[in-house]
Amino acid sequence: MSFTFPYFGSLTHVFEVVMRGVGKQDIMLPKKPSKKTAELGSRHSPEFICTPFKITLGTFIEMLEEGAYELGIGGCHSWCRFGYYWPVQKLILEDLGYDFKFIILDYLRPSLLLNTLRKEVGNCSLMHAIRAFQVGWIKNRYTDLVDNLLYKYRAIELEKGLSEKIADKAFREIVETKGLRNIRKLRKKIPELFEKNIDVEKNTNPLKIGICGELYVVFEHSLNLDIHKKLNKLGIIVKNTVSLRSYLDIGQKINPFNRSPYKKAVKTAKPYIENKIGGETLENVGDIILYKKKGWDGMIHLYPFTCMPEIVTRSLVPQISRDHDMPVLSLVLDEHTGEVGLQTRIEAFADMLKIRKERN
Amino acid sequence: MKKKVGFPRALLYYKHSVLWTTFFEELGAEVVVSPKTDKRIKELGISTAPDEDCYSTKLYFGHVLVLKDKVDYLFIPRLGSDHELNVGCPKFIALAEVLKSIFPDLPEIIMPYFSMAKSGHGKRRLIEIILSIGIKFTYNPFKILRASKRAFSAYKEHQNELIISEEKLLMWENSEISLNDTPILEDGKEPLKIALIGHPYVFNDELSSLNIRKMLQLYGVDIITSEQMPKSLIEKQMEKLDYNMYFNYSREHLGTVMYFLESKTVDGILQLIIFSCGPDSIIGEMSARYFRRNPEIPLLQLVLDELSSETGLKTRIEAFLDMIERRKQTKRSEEDCHLHSPISVH
Repeated sequence: MSFTFPYFGSLTHVFEVVMRGVGKQDIMLPKKPSKKTAELGSRHSPEFICTPFKITLGTFIEMLEEGAYELGIGGCHSWCRFGYYWPVQKLILEDLGYDFKFIILDYLRPSLLLNTLRKEVGNCSLMHAIRAFQVGWIKNRYTDLVDNLLYKYRAIELEKGLSEKIADKAFREIVETKGLRNIRKLRKKIPELFEKNIDVEKNTNPLKIGICGELYVVFEHSLNLDIHKKLNKLGIIVKNTVSLRSYLDIGQKINPFNRSPYKKAVKTAKPYIENKIGGETLENVGDIILYKKKGWDGMIHLYPFTCMPEIVTRSLVPQISRDHDMPVLSLVLDEHTGEVGLQTRIEAFADMLKIRKERN
Repeated sequence: MKKKVGFPRALLYYKHSVLWTTFFEELGAEVVVSPKTDKRIKELGISTAPDEDCYSTKLYFGHVLVLKDKVDYLFIPRLGSDHELNVGCPKFIALAEVLKSIFPDLPEIIMPYFSMAKSGHGKRRLIEIILSIGIKFTYNPFKILRASKRAFSAYKEHQNELIISEEKLLMWENSEISLNDTPILEDGKEPLKIALIGHPYVFNDELSSLNIRKMLQLYGVDIITSEQMPKSLIEKQMEKLDYNMYFNYSREHLGTVMYFLESKTVDGILQLIIFSCGPDSIIGEMSARYFRRNPEIPLLQLVLDELSSETGLKTRIEAFLDMIERRKQTKRSEEDCHLHSPISVH
């Protein structure tokens, strides 16, 4: 029975690691979503559902055509519609006449998640599943590290295209490394890999922009039209402020000596919004303030069209931006977003930041 | 002088108005409710609210702006959920804070946060909230507690009156009683039975629903609304699903649709969807898909937004009712044929 899951940027590697870890052999790696995937998905989707739904549905249809049977997808019980993705997609795929089975991984309830991993995905002991899960979150730290290094080095590299090759190599190494001791060595190995192989422009003072927003849009390059690369091409260093680790990294959560940046962001967001409302609203609001304090030049806030929690962030952004003198560009993205329109808006934002920086 | 508390007549007001008004009146405050939604409020809301909010939330902004100079306090609760597991709409939680940040000159907002599902709030939290609100109006704790007690009993009574029992539903299905305004009929005609599905803040608001209740009454339609449905029936329907509907208000909608698709005791189902409402996008698709699998009771889904016109709505509803009428007639004549046709004996 072939198992597949939606494509999710660099997190695809993490999912693959966890699934292989619990002993799933027959994995069909999802294809990178293309324009056609989004079209296929939106043709069968409800009218004003959020965009990730359409792209994941498109991916599932493509993979089912290629012979997948088990579809893995996240579930949750939160204020977000994400938990309804699979019930609705199930109805749609059934009506389209496919034969399949959904496997739901509830990422907000670790005990349930472990049970599903153990019994439905693989067939292994609880200890084995916990270990696979742990390897997953530790490797997630390194995929995030590679992402952020790539977004930094690509902006200042001398030989264009080199850092992407190195990043691919690093991802492959992360997936293939086995044994916790070897994995932990990656923490030093990966930055070294970038440092040794890539010649960078020295004596420049590039702009630095943080990218916050809804998790899927920030990570999935087919939906955000590779905004990171577009910014890098303008010579701007970018960094993702959100990560799946805010849910999955239990190691960091229970470590008393390590203060999670997500908790800090939630605390900082208090004057604007106090309570969790699903999505990454609290983290995003806090991060905008925190990154100003860290000395970053600006922030880009991405969210999919009709995303409920992020619309709240969007409504708060102008006030936060004014109060803290932090330029924030809010971009709403869906499958119809034009490449040129996005490019123009980014360039205008970058120019504005440059002028601001020179003036100060 | 009495302190004035303002309630915007939108969203959750339509669900909890009795509870809130009784509580504040018992505390000795003067309750000011914004007028019914009119053109001016709509314009105000649409021009000031964030573009991507749903239509009902935009109207809420209008109501707040109309109220803001007339009151000392605004009451905008941040209700996360009133169920142990299921949640409400995320925008309700953030509404007060968003309003405060967009309009810094608003009067003081009373915004208690209550969420049973994620924060595990219970009776203790409720008492905390009641006391912290009450102290703004009176220093007598007994008065505060008495006010809350009366408010809850009034609310319970209201709910009991609103939500009908299963026996009453059966009586309605057999055309023995009517639950809402009696339909206006030509002589000798039987009223059509239609289930009206939607948020209470949509079909009870005359402007945003384009006065659909009155329209249906004039067409001679006997309606039952989704908020009147017995909770036990809805829970029974929800148990049939292989997933948990975790949006608490949407359970009502989907449960009602599923119940009537199964029981076939109404002539049609009319679902009102608010434009860009998150839960509605899911429920709309689900009900449409369930309907297509069991297409015996016609289902009409209407998406409402600030641009919907009354004429357009009228045309669609008329067409829908005509279709139902014709279906009924064909069914009747088929039955007649069946009765009168000679039975061949083999």
